[in-house]
Amino acid sequence: MIIKGGIVYDPANGIYGDEMDLFIDKGRMALQAKGEVIDASGLLVMPGGVDAHTHIAGKKVNTGRIMSPNDSRQGTEPRSAVCRPSTGYTVPNCYAMGYRYARMGYTTAFEAATPILEARHTHEELEEIPIIDKGALTLFGSNWQVMECVRDKDLSKLAAYVAWGLRSARGYGVKIVNPGGGEAWGFGANVKGINDTVPNFDVTPAEIIMGLAKANEMLHLPHSIHLHFNNLGKPGNYTTAIETLDLLKDIKPSRMRQIVHVAHMQFSAYGGTSWRDFESKAPVIADYFNAHSHATMDMGQMLFGSATTMTADAPLEYGNARLTHNKWSNHDIELEESSGVVPMNYFRKMLVNAVQWAIGLELALLVNDPWKVLMTTDHPNGSPFVNYPEVITLLMSKPKRDAEIATLHEQVPKRTTLAGIERELDWTDISIMTRAAPARVLGLDDKGHLGPGADGDVSIYNLRPLEVDTSLDHAIVKKALATAKYTIKGGVLVSKEGQILATPPGRTFWVDAAVPQADTDRLMIDLEEKFAKYYSIQIANYAVQDAYLPHAKVIRAGLPILSEVA
Amino acid sequence: MRTITITPKKAFRISVEAENISPDKFASLNIEQIKSLTVWQGNRKIMLSDLFTVEGDDAPDKAEETTIRLAGDFFQVKRIGEGMTAGVVEVQGSIGMHAGNNMKGGLLSIAGNADDWLAREMRGGKVVVMGNAGNYAGGGYRGEKCGMRGGEIEVKGSAGAYLGEHLCGGSIRIGGDAGDFPGAANQGGTIFIGGSTYLPGAEMSKGTITVKGEAKVLPSFQRLEIVQIDGLAFQKYAGDNVDNGKGELLVGVGSS
Repeated sequence: MIIKGGIVYDPANGIYGDEMDLFIDKGRMALQAKGEVIDASGLLVMPGGVDAHTHIAGKKVNTGRIMSPNDSRQGTEPRSAVCRPSTGYTVPNCYAMGYRYARMGYTTAFEAATPILEARHTHEELEEIPIIDKGALTLFGSNWQVMECVRDKDLSKLAAYVAWGLRSARGYGVKIVNPGGGEAWGFGANVKGINDTVPNFDVTPAEIIMGLAKANEMLHLPHSIHLHFNNLGKPGNYTTAIETLDLLKDIKPSRMRQIVHVAHMQFSAYGGTSWRDFESKAPVIADYFNAHSHATMDMGQMLFGSATTMTADAPLEYGNARLTHNKWSNHDIELEESSGVVPMNYFRKMLVNAVQWAIGLELALLVNDPWKVLMTTDHPNGSPFVNYPEVITLLMSKPKRDAEIATLHEQVPKRTTLAGIERELDWTDISIMTRAAPARVLGLDDKGHLGPGADGDVSIYNLRPLEVDTSLDHAIVKKALATAKYTIKGGVLVSKEGQILATPPGRTFWVDAAVPQADTDRLMIDLEEKFAKYYSIQIANYAVQDAYLPHAKVIRAGLPILSEVA
Repeated sequence: MRTITITPKKAFRISVEAENISPDKFASLNIEQIKSLTVWQGNRKIMLSDLFTVEGDDAPDKAEETTIRLAGDFFQVKRIGEGMTAGVVEVQGSIGMHAGNNMKGGLLSIAGNADDWLAREMRGGKVVVMGNAGNYAGGGYRGEKCGMRGGEIEVKGSAGAYLGEHLCGGSIRIGGDAGDFPGAANQGGTIFIGGSTYLPGAEMSKGTITVKGEAKVLPSFQRLEIVQIDGLAFQKYAGDNVDNGKGELLVGVGSS
């Protein structure tokens, strides 16, 4: 396939809006190719979008669907010759996830939280999501085995468990959600700071985070730890964020990437002592990111309208349910986690929501280096992913932000700095924040860029970047981004002007990390006892079988000496 | 005033979805155009005239000047009058599920019975049923926080279970009995039941439910004083206290 004459933004390869032809051969970017010619003359061309933090599959997504049948009334589309039926808005069905990502020009999305025990369900749903490539991060933050290894300061056993857990869950990376809090919630409590002790385990969140971060680097995993802070969603929590980030700053990375990726930073950049004096601390957080290079974040932008909050942070969801009097699902995941789901509505006229809206944008605009900030809405917690074009246009247009602020509570300019921020992102910034950076943060070498050998994932938009003024013509930009003119996935034209043309199955990435057999042997003694005493299932039935991942892509990692032998 | 009469050509074994039968949809169309409106029977998409005869004034007119007369049995025809804002739909027999869904104005008058989900999530206008109504009359769709928000439903006969479920406004008047759980999760609407019922007002937070006959009242309601309304005595309750509710429940006493 040949893509002719596009204005290409491929920042990972130092291409910033150059007119050039692209070639795809056997599903990969190449220097030469034959075949179908796509005319992209003067149009915006970027690598396929990569979403590094989204909730698209697994038990909590399905719980969100079950508790909101009203949501499935929105966004219904009948089946067509190519597509199966679509339903839903905040919690779409599996098929709609694939079609909607592809229509926006996205070709990769990573599910951000899966307990090992429920990973089989996650993979069943991921396999049903058409077109896009996927992966799932595995939850370790309130896991009994993890906490015992941390308590015993047995780092090699912890690394062996992380490797075993990733293999059992067919997971891609280490996700940590409110570490220790999931366990405390089993007793109706929470951990209130990183130095609080987890009941019955004599460890602190700080120790859990440090242990897992070290194990993560010991195993040379492609992704860093992916952290949802303690105290998330609470006024005044920015101190917890800074404290946690500071813990990690001296760890040595095993790869050319960050030490920690902070999930949905917006929810952890809050000042004030209560919702009454709630205010933005985004500038403090942004200063920290500007001064340090060991951390990256995704925005977790909130938009007004309906959402469904879903997280392994069960005490947070209890708070949400009490606050909104909405439906609430609360779930215990045996020795691993707890979780919750609460449907949500964010209102323009509500000051707290308006400040939250501003915080996400402040973070993205105040952090100087776009490689450190990924554009997300923490789908569907802040807003469904179909609203990404709204977020991007807000980042690109000061007039649009001003017009929005004018409709919000009068206190917004006093409690946030957004109104005073002049910065408007350009196509290079956006291409980094939605393509190059998410791929680099996840450690996906063949994603997020268009160099030879990269995956043949390209999105072409009906927009002339050399002519359109993104600041003033934000409505045109939003419309163009919502529906790519062409989306190409692995060299196949999958979507043209919103019409899905083909639905190839996407691959699922998972990480197989090698560890010394002796460590695994020591670990298995612990695990066999836990399964015999506590788990509701047998150890033999625990791991996800390969049959659940017919399109798996295994990434090898592990201790360096072993990876050399292998 | 324009009148259009629609008659089924035969009895339907497979139900029909006919949300296009509505004064708003007919207003700008002549008879030929009305005949070619879409209806679904099962999974088949067909034209209105495939299943019904359509007769009446040919010239288009405004919705508020339009009367649709449904002659014959429409009990297997669903979603009639969905979203209508004005005009009249007059049903000479019975009507199928979801009649007057999301209705915003006008009059839906039914001489026979109405099936389940009558006037689901109604916003305004009036629905009158001379016979009985099925379950979930004036209710909300599964999972929705609000059912009926405004307007008026009057049923001369009885109503099924979950009458006015998640009611957020408007008023419902039932001549006879109502099934289990009328006014469940009521958030501000008014229900009057001429006969008896079972467990009214579960989880209600606001609004009023009046039961002239007998009712089994949930233990989570607080018993207050006896009040007189139009010469009849009613036991007054407040609740539902499981939800810290401020609703009002009145149940007739000593009328026998």
